[in-house]
Amino acid sequence: MSPRRSPRCLAITGLRSFVGQRIAARLLESANPPRVVGLDLNVPRRLEGRIAFHRVDLTEPTADSAVAEILEKERCDALLHAAFFTDPYPDLEYAHELEVVGSLHVMNACAASKVRKLVVTSTAQVYGARADNPNFLTEEHPLRAHPDAHAVRDRAEMEGLLRLFATRHPDMIVTSLRPCWITGPSYESAAMRRLGADRVTTLLGYDPLMQFLHEEDLLRAVELAIERDAPGPINLAGDGVLTLSTLLHMAGRRTLPVPHPLLYRLQYLDAMSRFGDRPAGFYDYLRFLWVVDAGRARAALDFEPVYTTQEAWMSQVVSRRMRKYR
Amino acid sequence: MSDTTDAGGHGTSPDELAELREAVAQLRRGLDRFGGPDETDAVRPPAPAGPLESLAESVRAWLAEVDVIDLWDELRRRLSAAGGRGEHLPSTDDYGLDAEALARARRLLDFLYERWWRVEVVDARQVPDAPGLLFVSNRSGILPYDGLMIAHAVERESPRHQRPRFLVADWLVTLPFSQPLLARLGGVRACQENAERLLGAGESVVAFPEGQKGALKLFRDRYRLARFGRGGFVSLAVRRRATVVPVGVVGAEETHPVLFRSALVERLLGVPLPVTPTFPHLGPLGLIPLPSRWRIRFGEPIRFDAGPPERADDPLFVNRARERVRGAIRALVEEEVARRSGVFRA
Repeated sequence: MSPRRSPRCLAITGLRSFVGQRIAARLLESANPPRVVGLDLNVPRRLEGRIAFHRVDLTEPTADSAVAEILEKERCDALLHAAFFTDPYPDLEYAHELEVVGSLHVMNACAASKVRKLVVTSTAQVYGARADNPNFLTEEHPLRAHPDAHAVRDRAEMEGLLRLFATRHPDMIVTSLRPCWITGPSYESAAMRRLGADRVTTLLGYDPLMQFLHEEDLLRAVELAIERDAPGPINLAGDGVLTLSTLLHMAGRRTLPVPHPLLYRLQYLDAMSRFGDRPAGFYDYLRFLWVVDAGRARAALDFEPVYTTQEAWMSQVVSRRMRKYR
Repeated sequence: MSDTTDAGGHGTSPDELAELREAVAQLRRGLDRFGGPDETDAVRPPAPAGPLESLAESVRAWLAEVDVIDLWDELRRRLSAAGGRGEHLPSTDDYGLDAEALARARRLLDFLYERWWRVEVVDARQVPDAPGLLFVSNRSGILPYDGLMIAHAVERESPRHQRPRFLVADWLVTLPFSQPLLARLGGVRACQENAERLLGAGESVVAFPEGQKGALKLFRDRYRLARFGRGGFVSLAVRRRATVVPVGVVGAEETHPVLFRSALVERLLGVPLPVTPTFPHLGPLGLIPLPSRWRIRFGEPIRFDAGPPERADDPLFVNRARERVRGAIRALVEEEVARRSGVFRA
C-alpha cells in the first residue's frame, strides 16, 4: 500500500463533470478539507461561492499557460483532471480538441508549475472490446481501442500521451483510473440509457461477461487516488462478473437480439445521419469480453468496492424504476 | 352432469357455478402475478345475473387486462425454461462457467460419452491427486468435443473428480452462439493470461498446443501431431509449478474427417471452413459428429518444478521440454491407434 499524503490544495479541471462536481462537494464536506480550485467553462450551481473558480477553456491554443498561471497563483500541489465527456460527443473535432489536446495542455501546465500529483479519470473501455482479449485485463495489457469508436480512441490516445508524460517526469505521481461501466442512482450515461431501455437491443448469439462499478465506489476510488501516492494506471470494477443475459433478466428487461452484421450496418447509417457514435463504441462492448482485473486498486489504493457488480447494477435498475413514479 | 337442468339446456348447478367462479378468480390471481393490474372485489362491477353472462364478462375482462406482448414474453420464457435454458439466475463464475447449465447439459454429455463415442479411459490412475494440473493433449476434430470429453473423463475417472477447464481457439470465441455456449460449459479462450490465472487459482486446465493446425488437419494427416506451438505451455508449467499430464485422444479425428480446405473460401468468409463428408453440403446436419469409438489415455505425469523458475525464459530448455511432452503424447496416440481394431467397432 502506498503512503497517505493528502494534498493541501487540489485543482479540478472539468469541474462540471460528474466526478469533478461530486469530488469537490465531498472534499468540502470532509473533516479536514483541502483548498479546492475549480477550472471549467462555468461553475456548477451547487458549488457556487464555495470554491475558488477560474474560467478556462481547454480547447484554446494557450490554455496550457493559462492553467499553469492559475496553478502557480493558487499554489496547487495536486490536480484532478476530469474534463472528459461522459458520452461520445457528436462534434468529433471538438471532442478530440478537448480530450486529447486539452489533456496535453493540462499535463504541460502541471509540469510547468509545482503540482506533484496528477489524477486522470479515464475508462477501462480503452483496452477495447476484442475477441482475443484474455478473461481478465490487467493494467499491462496494450490499449487496443477500436479505431471506429472515436470517443474511446481519443481516450486511449490521451492515455498514451499520459504514459509518455509520466516517463518524462519521474518525480511526478501520475495516476490514471480506468473504471469499467459506471452505474448508480444519479449517474447518467448513454450506455446506461441503452441498457435501461424497456427493450434492449443485444447481439444475437453473444452473451459476454460484464462488470459494473457503482458511482459511490468510483468517487471513493478517486478520493483514495488523490490521498495516496499510487502512480500508473489502475483498473476499477465491482466484484464479480455476470453475463449480459443474466443482468437483463434480473432487471426484467426484454431483449431484441439482432444479428450483428445487420445491427452494425444499421447503426452505421444512424451514426452517419446524426454524427452519433459508431457501433464499435457501444455494441462491441456487448459482444466481446472486456472484463478487467481490479487487483491493483486493492493493492495500491487499498480500495475495496462496497458494491458488487450485481448490486451496482441493481441499484441502477431500482432507481430507474422508482423514477417512473416520481 | 347434474340432473337439475333449466329450460334451454343452459343449466348449471350451484356447485358448478361456484367452481367456475373459483376458476375465474384463480385465473385473475395468476394474471396478477405477471403484471396485470391489481383489482379488488370492491372495485369490480357487480356480477351479472346469469352464469353465461358472468363467464362472458370475465373473458372480456381477461382480454382487456392481458398484455399480449407480456403473454408472448411469458410464453417464450416458459418455452426456453422447458428447453433447458431456464432462469437466468446468477450462477456463473468468473470465467462464465455456469454450474446450472453444466448440470443440465450433463445428460447430453453423458450420452455422448457413453453411447455416441463409447469413450474408454485408460490409465486414469496416472492423474495425480492434486489441484492445478495442466493436461496437454493432441487436438483433433473441428469442434472442441475432445476438450469437453477430456474434461468429462477427468471429472468421472480421476481420483480428485475435479472438472478441468478446456482452452478453445480464438475463432470459436468469435463465432456467435458458440462463445456463450462454450463459456457456460467451461471453455476458456486459449491464451497465456487465462491459463496462468486459472492454474494460479488451483484449477486444472486442458491445453492443446497444436492449436488450429491440429483441429483442422486433413484426414490423411490424422494422428500426426503438428508442431506444439512455441512451448508456451512449458513456460506456464514451470512458472506456475504445475504438473503436466500428457493425454492421448484417439477417435476424435474421425468425428469430422476433413477432406479438403479452400484457402480462398476461408479468406472470403474469415472463418475456417473445412469440407467433411457431411459438411457443409448437408447444412446443420453436417455438424453432427460421426460416432467413432474413442480412447482417452493418460500418460505419466511430467513435473517441471525441480529447476529454478527462471528456466521458463530459457528457450533451449523450453524447446527440449516441449519435444519431450510431444514425444510422450505421440507415443500414447500411436500405441492406442495400433491397439484399436476399427474406427467404429470395439
